[in-house]
Amino acid sequence: MAVYKRTYKSYAGPLTSPSWRFLVLQRYAFRSVFKSRMLLMGYMACFIPGLLMICVLYLNQNASVLALIGQKVGVFKINGPFFLNFLTFQSVLAGILTAFIAPTLVAPDLVNGALSLYMSRPFSRGEYILGKGSVIATLAGAITLLPTMLMFIVQSSLMGWNWMLDNFYLATATLFTSAILLAVLTLLGLAMSALVRWRIVAGALILAVFAIGKGFAAMIDNVMRTTSGDYIDIQHLISTVATHLYQVGYPDDDIPIVAAWITLFAICGLLLMILNRKLRVCEVAG
Amino acid sequence: MTEPHIELEDLRVTLGKREILRGLNLQLRARTVGLLGPNGAGKSTLINTLLGFWKPTSGTARVMGHDVRTQAREIRALIGYMPENDCFIANMPAISFVRLGAELSGLPSEQALERAHEALFYVGLGEARYRKMGAFSLGMKQMAKLAQAIVHGPKVLILDEPTNGLDPQARTRMIKLILEMRDLGTMHIVVCSHLLRDIEETCEEAVILKAGQIVHYSNLEAERASNRRFVEIETEGDDGTFADAIELLGCVCSVTAGKIRTVLPEGIEIRDIYRLAAARDIQLRRLNYRRDSLEDIFLKAMENREAVSGRL
Repeated sequence: MAVYKRTYKSYAGPLTSPSWRFLVLQRYAFRSVFKSRMLLMGYMACFIPGLLMICVLYLNQNASVLALIGQKVGVFKINGPFFLNFLTFQSVLAGILTAFIAPTLVAPDLVNGALSLYMSRPFSRGEYILGKGSVIATLAGAITLLPTMLMFIVQSSLMGWNWMLDNFYLATATLFTSAILLAVLTLLGLAMSALVRWRIVAGALILAVFAIGKGFAAMIDNVMRTTSGDYIDIQHLISTVATHLYQVGYPDDDIPIVAAWITLFAICGLLLMILNRKLRVCEVAG
Repeated sequence: MTEPHIELEDLRVTLGKREILRGLNLQLRARTVGLLGPNGAGKSTLINTLLGFWKPTSGTARVMGHDVRTQAREIRALIGYMPENDCFIANMPAISFVRLGAELSGLPSEQALERAHEALFYVGLGEARYRKMGAFSLGMKQMAKLAQAIVHGPKVLILDEPTNGLDPQARTRMIKLILEMRDLGTMHIVVCSHLLRDIEETCEEAVILKAGQIVHYSNLEAERASNRRFVEIETEGDDGTFADAIELLGCVCSVTAGKIRTVLPEGIEIRDIYRLAAARDIQLRRLNYRRDSLEDIFLKAMENREAVSGRL
């Protein structure tokens, strides 16, 4: 019907599959996130380290180029610490990115009660979290998991089948470390934005969770002369898990690896609880 | 008799430790139903329960035959909801806001865009549809909320305080839209309002809630019809026998403060009263139909403490 016909009519056309309806939110969120040119430019810049590392991997096996600077093939050792250091650097960028993006996804829906727009439709809270969370996970994953995996593939193609089989643990380590990192970042970003609702404060809070956790952990460790403070340091917990997975030297006095995993899952559970509590259309007063 | 679009059977809802809805029994069949009640009566809780935001403690609630406990998703697909409070995304243009609502209800992207244009034109925001909602006036926001509620073509439309904050012109437009949608006959409309005039103008039936119970249900059409049978008469030159003469016609009469109040039975019309007065040479100084407004009904219901079961 033409728009100038100002009459109401009911809808009897086809409907989309309910299973994939969360992608609607994702589409709208991507559009809203990349409206900011600064953010887009910053995000593009996050890919530069990955591209540089792939160049390094290539040049590391290029005898003629290395000969020009008087070096032999394999000047850089491509092993667990190499991948771990790169992923750690990218994780910091992902954390900063989350602090910028997450509040723009959730806060506008909560500030003016738009949550009832979503929840009064055939759309659940879980789908809302999935839709919004997938934006953070996709964007953060594209600068952490994706380039690290690409580096592994490039190195495998340069070194051959045997290297890939011998170092396959690097791929699994990348996958699992990125998975827990993305889960924590996504849930933390959404939960803090739902908790504070004010964009700037929510962004600062996301970064503060890492900084404050680290500060408190160091204080507890120093005062009590233990490592139990590390349980509240998310950065340390992820680092412990990653160190173990990448088979990098694991300090004896560090917290047990199983305990680190359990704590990270507990943190995810806590963040989900915050989201479940805060993402409500109506709350009981008093 | 048509199938009820909303059915409540001994519906009880407890929030915290307080029972908000206390055993509601109701069947709504009318095209437009008004939900009335003072603050804290349970109107919003009832709406939130129908939308599946609250689970009933006991009893059942069904919308178009779907149980709110187990089929909330199906119910939400059938409902269009215009909330009382603010509901907008400030930095989003109205067209995107309404389109988003349509897509979340399952409309494919292109159809959602087309319907969003139509809905915004329909509510009178056609020219403002590309403006960000944060810059809208209160009245425009109300209209945008209505547009998002109707964009997917719901079977049941729930309007919570639809005329809140509207100037008289905008209010008239909102009422006109509600009446138009009612007359199209494609949806049932539930209007929740504190403004009795809104309910009176738009609804065929009214349910009055008080302290979580239904204290009155009123078929406004029937009330209007019965009001036309109730007549108040003031006379001049009556020696006190005019009331007796009216009773002889078959009417029930009462005389207080010189006024005769009577209910005209079937077959007796006003002109019969005029004829009787002329025959007895009595002047009729005033003859009024009773105007028992919704306000009177509401106030009476508020005095009435006993809950009633509303079979509408």
